[in-house]
Amino acid sequence: MYDIIVIGAGPAGLAAASTAALEGLHVLVLDEYIKPGGRLLGQLYEEADGNWWNGIDESAKLYDQAIHAGVEILLQTAVHDMERHESSWFIYTEDVVFSSKQLLLATGAAESPLPIPGWTLPGVMSVGAAQVMTNVHRVKPGDRGIIIGVNVLSAAIAMELHLAGIDIAAMALPPLNRITTKHARPKEVVEALLHASYLAPSRLLRIGSKFMTNPFMRQLGITFYPKNGVTMWGVPIQLRKAVIEIYGTNQVEGVIVSTIDKDGNPIYGSEENIACDFVCIDGGLYPLTELAELAGCPFYYVNELGGYVPLHNEKMETPIEGLYVAGNITGIEGAKVAISQGIVAGYSMAIRSGKQGLADKLQDALNTVHDTRRQAAIQFHPKIELGRDIIQKQWEKYQSRLVQI
Amino acid sequence: MNDKEIIVCRCEEVTLSELQQTADTYSCSARELKLRTRAGMGFCGGRTCSTMIEVLAHNEREKTLKFQAPIRPIHFGKLGGEIS
Repeated sequence: MYDIIVIGAGPAGLAAASTAALEGLHVLVLDEYIKPGGRLLGQLYEEADGNWWNGIDESAKLYDQAIHAGVEILLQTAVHDMERHESSWFIYTEDVVFSSKQLLLATGAAESPLPIPGWTLPGVMSVGAAQVMTNVHRVKPGDRGIIIGVNVLSAAIAMELHLAGIDIAAMALPPLNRITTKHARPKEVVEALLHASYLAPSRLLRIGSKFMTNPFMRQLGITFYPKNGVTMWGVPIQLRKAVIEIYGTNQVEGVIVSTIDKDGNPIYGSEENIACDFVCIDGGLYPLTELAELAGCPFYYVNELGGYVPLHNEKMETPIEGLYVAGNITGIEGAKVAISQGIVAGYSMAIRSGKQGLADKLQDALNTVHDTRRQAAIQFHPKIELGRDIIQKQWEKYQSRLVQI
Repeated sequence: MNDKEIIVCRCEEVTLSELQQTADTYSCSARELKLRTRAGMGFCGGRTCSTMIEVLAHNEREKTLKFQAPIRPIHFGKLGGEIS
C-alpha cells in the first residue's frame, strides 16, 4: 500500500511525486510510455530571452529529482482500470494491482484527428507523432512532409522538423467541413496566430505576424495574404490554401491543395498536386480523462480548457475523496504550468495525509501557478484564465449544492 | 472525393456524411450518435474518433460519451481467465 499513486510521468506527475516524497510520503508513479517526461519529451523551442527550452533535458531533470526524493517509477506500465474500495484506490495494470490511499491523475492530453479525404492512409500521422519520432526516437517520419493545420503548436513542430533536416513542402489548412471548422477558416486561424504572436515560440514568428496587429490590418492581412504564402524556416505557410485530399495507392504519395476564400471555401479550378511521403495533421489537443471517468468524477465542457475536464478546484482536488488531478487533464497549457500544478497537488496530498505546517508552501505554490500562467511562452487558448475561472465557479456551485442537500 | 467517402470511425468504417445525417435527423447526443451508427464502438474503443463524434453531436455541456474499463488493450487471460 502506497501513500500516493501518480498516473502519468509527465511534468505534472513527476513534480507532484517529488513534492509529496520530500514531505516523507511513499509515492509510486506509473506511466505507459517507455521514457519519463510525457509530451514534454518532444518540446524544443526558443524562449523570449533567447534561451532554448529542451524537453529531453527538462524531463531528465524532473526524473532525477523524483528518484532522489525517493519516488518509485514504473514505466511501460499501462493502467486499464481502477476502483475505490474501503478508502483505498486499486490500480489495475497488466500484471499487478497496486493500491494507495490517494491517487493523482496526471494523464495529460491527446491529439484530435481531423477528417480529411485520405487521412487513413499509411504515412498520415498527428503532428505530435512526427515530433516524438523526430526528437525522441531520432527517426525521420519521411523525407518530405505536409503539415495540415496552422497554429502555434504546428508551427513550433514544423521548425523542429526543419532543424532535423526534414523537408516540409508546405503548411496549409484542412478542408472546411463540420468537424474542421475552427481550423479551416483563414480568419479564425489568423486571429489565433495573432494572439499568440507576442508569446510565440520563435522570434521569427513574432516578427512574421507583427504587421497584422490591429483588426483593420488583420482583414488586410487575410485579403492580401500572398497566394503563395509566407516562408518561415524555408517552410511555405499557406493560410489561403487547404489540403482537400491526401492521395496514394498503398501509402501517402501526395496531397491536392486548393486556394480558398477568406471563409475557407475552396475556389474551383485552383487545385494543384504536391508530392510528399508523409502528412501531419494538427487537430489540437484535448485533456485525456478516461480514468477520471472510471472514478465517477463529474465533467464540464470548457472550450477555453480544450474540451471536457474533470471538476476540480485550485488545490487540484476533485469531488471524489482521495482523487486529485494536475497538468493537461485539467486543461491544455504548457509544461511549466503543469509542473507548478503538480507541486500544488503534491502539497495538497501531503496535507491530506496529515503532514503539518504546509499551508504556506501550498499558498506559495498556488501563487506560482498564476505567475507561470501569465509568463507562459506558449498559450494554447487565448482565454485560458477565463477557462480556469469557469471551472472554479462550477466547483463552488457543486459544493454549495452539496451543502443544500 | 466527397463527404460520403470521408471516414470518421476507421474501426467501424463510419463516414462523415452518415454521422452528419444521423446528428441532423435525431438531433442527438454524442452517446446516441455512437449507438445509432456504431462510430466509436470498434476495437480501439473510440480512442481515435471520440472527439470528432463529440463535435458533430449537438453542443453538449454534459459528457455523454463515456469510457469503460479496460481503457487500454489487455489479454483476456490477464483479466482473470485461466488456461488449464
